[in-house]
Amino acid sequence: MKKKRVGVVLAIVMVLCLSTGLWAAGQVEQAKPEGPIKIIYWRSLTGVAGEAQEEIVKRFNASRSDIIVESQFQGAYAEILQKLQAGLAAGDVPDLVLLDSPHLQIFAKEGVLVNLDAFVAKEPKNFLQDYIPGLLADSYYSKNLYALPALRSTPLLYINEDMLAEAGLPRRAPATWDEFREYCKKLTKVNANGEPIQYGVGFTMGATTAHWYFQGAVYAFDGKISDENFGVHLTEAPAVAAAKLWQDMVFKDKSAVPSTSHDDLFNKKVAMVFGSTGSMGNVMNRATFKVLPAFIPGQVRNGVPVGGAVIAMPSTDKWRQWAAWEFMKFFTGTDSQAYLAEKTGYMPNSTSASKHPDLVKYYAANPHWKVAIDQLQFVQPQASVISLPKGTEILRQMVEKLLIANMDVNTVMAETKADLEKEYNENFK
Amino acid sequence: MALFSRKRTVHSMTIREKRDFHAFVGFTAPTFILLGIFILWPIFYSFYLSLFKWNMISPKKTFLGFQNYQDMFGDPVFWLVVKNTLLMAFFTVIVKMAISLYLATQLNKKVKGSSVYRAIIFSPTFTANVAIAMVWAWIFEPTFGLLRVVLKPLGFPMIDWIHSTSHSLPAVIIVLIWSGIGYDMVLFLAALKNISLEIYDAALVDGANTYQIFWRITFPLVSPTTFFLLITGFINVLKAFDIVRIMTEGGPLNSSNVVVHFLYQNAFQWFRTGYASALALILFVFIMFITLIQNRLSKRWVHY
Repeated sequence: MKKKRVGVVLAIVMVLCLSTGLWAAGQVEQAKPEGPIKIIYWRSLTGVAGEAQEEIVKRFNASRSDIIVESQFQGAYAEILQKLQAGLAAGDVPDLVLLDSPHLQIFAKEGVLVNLDAFVAKEPKNFLQDYIPGLLADSYYSKNLYALPALRSTPLLYINEDMLAEAGLPRRAPATWDEFREYCKKLTKVNANGEPIQYGVGFTMGATTAHWYFQGAVYAFDGKISDENFGVHLTEAPAVAAAKLWQDMVFKDKSAVPSTSHDDLFNKKVAMVFGSTGSMGNVMNRATFKVLPAFIPGQVRNGVPVGGAVIAMPSTDKWRQWAAWEFMKFFTGTDSQAYLAEKTGYMPNSTSASKHPDLVKYYAANPHWKVAIDQLQFVQPQASVISLPKGTEILRQMVEKLLIANMDVNTVMAETKADLEKEYNENFK
Repeated sequence: MALFSRKRTVHSMTIREKRDFHAFVGFTAPTFILLGIFILWPIFYSFYLSLFKWNMISPKKTFLGFQNYQDMFGDPVFWLVVKNTLLMAFFTVIVKMAISLYLATQLNKKVKGSSVYRAIIFSPTFTANVAIAMVWAWIFEPTFGLLRVVLKPLGFPMIDWIHSTSHSLPAVIIVLIWSGIGYDMVLFLAALKNISLEIYDAALVDGANTYQIFWRITFPLVSPTTFFLLITGFINVLKAFDIVRIMTEGGPLNSSNVVVHFLYQNAFQWFRTGYASALALILFVFIMFITLIQNRLSKRWVHY
């Protein structure tokens, strides 16, 4: 009996000690730790776009004695996604992460990203007003801010200008999809056996990009893939027209091919490819010929889906969150964005950055690069369905069914619509 | 093992037995702990996960029972992926072993510069699969790829291997065969060196021809190696991932998708951790099953 009582007393004492200990630990967390706070930033992208991010980190670290940012390269967007999932499951996450914009929604939905509204509230009133609205719009999940626009892009058309001249075409981009189709016919060359040795365009089939260029085409035909309420509009006339055009170019005109990488442009297999504005630095550096970056063709109207990456905060510690916010502001601030835009071709995310004297001067000297910022006026958010876990994959399979399997357009669109609706109902709603 | 078979508790052990037992525990613990943490626990945990719907991020797991397994067996893509995996394993292993055995017999003769050939044929073995996949993706490229240059004068039509639902899987198989020949060849060569020359001499004296010598002497005597390569080769191909990932991403339309790649897509790209765990478990059971069958069959034709 006595022994038992001692046990109970001991247990109570232990619980008390533990809770005071925890309470004390909680108190300590509130006070700012001594010395510089070290935070970890997971970045993506290689080549020029990777180096430019490292430069921003270096500049930030040089400007601050109280914060040290360690930038860690984690591979392509898809690998970041995978590592972040694993990190969350293991309870070990970076403080900041560069996320392909479609992925933001699902992480925000599960509550693993820091809601940034409280940080914004502490900033000057017009803090968010400088950001270009079309680039900030998809940083929200259910009206709360979860990210800031970091390396935003739109799709562009990259044209081998030498081939235009060779085909007797004017040295300018096609304005409409109809004109684009005519261009492609003229840019296609066959050998003596009737085998194509040069195509007008390579349609990108990449897992993370196939849907993006197709969205641009649908916007041009004045349609949309889906609306905010996840209603899918693929079976409507504009999307069907865009799909039909692409399929006819591959199988009727034989002036287009499925393509996996920009190598097809560099190796002169195709005269045109679609690419991100963010690839501009790499494309211009690697091509051995004159490249003309241009708008995605219009048709009924002009419209392009915004893409690229946002920076978000999975950090779990109060002071690290504070430090992370400081870096986020720096990264998405005027000077950094002007620098990134100049180096990489990504779009400056704010009005002030696009008017930055360095950038204005650079665009004056390199008028080609200005196309990214000129296209800003046509920027629209992406289709809602790409935030579904399997959304981009379903759309990629749609493009594969159209351009590789040569399946009937209406069937493909109906199947894709059904697949997307099923995915929404089962895995997102 | 004797310690366990005698039905005695630790208390009734003699001092010497106790010491032995402690030594036994001490020596085996590191292995058991590592195996437990990194092999056994994950197997059980993935079985546990396979009973849930979970996206890996959410704190909430929804219990489904065996729904994931039902969905899997009802999913035509799963069966396509299984078919692809089996086709890939079958063709890769058979063709790879046939070619490497042939090469090994040729190199076993005293050819001038055979060590150079050996080194060249072995070189894909120590080349990173990522590099192999990227170079082969270029070789298969229909307009400027190397294969085109070779096949064009022979009158072959232009094929876009990677972007074709009928050719993407053969393309992956070709690469797997190419990259695996070196390893198999070296093992076959070692086996051939172990065959006593006297047997061949005797066969020659008896008037056996090359065909008979190969099927009656060489082939039976290398059969332990053949068996080993068959099992390991088959299991390795079942687990193939990197070459598929880089060359085709399993596409187009899953035509070159295989189990492990499909598992990866489900787990890390489509947020279906439960379903992916179910896939992993099925693969585990399947590999175990194959190993058992091969072990059984081997007794009939392997001459140790």
